[in-house]
Amino acid sequence: MPDDVLAQLTKMIEDVVGADVLLGVEITKETTFSDDIGLESIEFVALADRLRQHYGERVDLVGFLAEMDIDEIMAMSVGRLVDHIEASVGLAADRG
Amino acid sequence: MVFVHGLVMDNLSSFYYTLAAPLAAAGVGTILFDLRGHGLSARPDSGYSPLDGARDLVAILDELGVEEPVHLLGNSYGGVVAMRTALLAPDRVAGVVLVEAACGGAAGELWFEDIVNTLSVAALGLEFDRTQDQLVTLGQRKIARLAGNASALLNGTTLIDDLGSGPALSEQDLRNVTCRVLGVFGAESELVGAAAELAEHIPRCTLHVIPGLGHTVLREATDELLATVLDWLGVDRVGMDRMPG
Repeated sequence: MPDDVLAQLTKMIEDVVGADVLLGVEITKETTFSDDIGLESIEFVALADRLRQHYGERVDLVGFLAEMDIDEIMAMSVGRLVDHIEASVGLAADRG
Repeated sequence: MVFVHGLVMDNLSSFYYTLAAPLAAAGVGTILFDLRGHGLSARPDSGYSPLDGARDLVAILDELGVEEPVHLLGNSYGGVVAMRTALLAPDRVAGVVLVEAACGGAAGELWFEDIVNTLSVAALGLEFDRTQDQLVTLGQRKIARLAGNASALLNGTTLIDDLGSGPALSEQDLRNVTCRVLGVFGAESELVGAAAELAEHIPRCTLHVIPGLGHTVLREATDELLATVLDWLGVDRVGMDRMPG
């Protein structure tokens, strides 16, 4: 399951920024949205939208983001978001 | 609550990361959009006056099927659009929050002139200094893209002309505003005089001035702004009193 979420997120990032922007950038859990990918704030919103469409009610992105300020969000690593999604989906699965 | 962002480099993300999530968590329905030509919205050649912006906002409400009156929160130029909307369609607007926005009167006119001049200079710089190319060469792809978008908006559309052309809101216009208005300003901001003008002419206006801050209230005083807005809306932070969006 862990690889699935990272792979899913990587695909969404590609959709949002375009494959050419990601040339030479391998997305791992350590990759940061702002420094490594150069993600604009508005592109992060587009990414969050796709996540919501895919994971729906299982992942509370609004609550997750509400706890951080904008600098924290942009300095976030891909791994931190993956961990949150996995934890949320795992919890939802446990509740059955 | 419908959020309206500022000019050129701004878009809905500046609310997404600050006010929208906590307001939504408190039970307030939230609508965020990118102004024409900004963020991920389309960028046609023309239609960039505040009145056009107000019409776009009403069109969005129509498109979303939102018929009940909404609250508007506008940051900087977004506040100008918000106030225009309140005058254009008073039956659609329950109240307006102005964050560092001068909407009309003498101070409003001066601020607008200032904006138009600044944008004109920026437009020239972006076009002739080939800023974007330099930035790409330096490997600053992200900033290069932002500069490219700014140049396309300032040099490729009628935005600067549209802003400079129409009549600003008069003092009588401000007196005609029927809904409640909350103005939040920084004490050190150049707009603090404009704030006083708003309070003088708008019938149901409350002012909240934050010491030690300038124009960047939204980002630098997010918590205080949030608390002030929730209080003004009559919404408990825990979400016990539910107000319509």
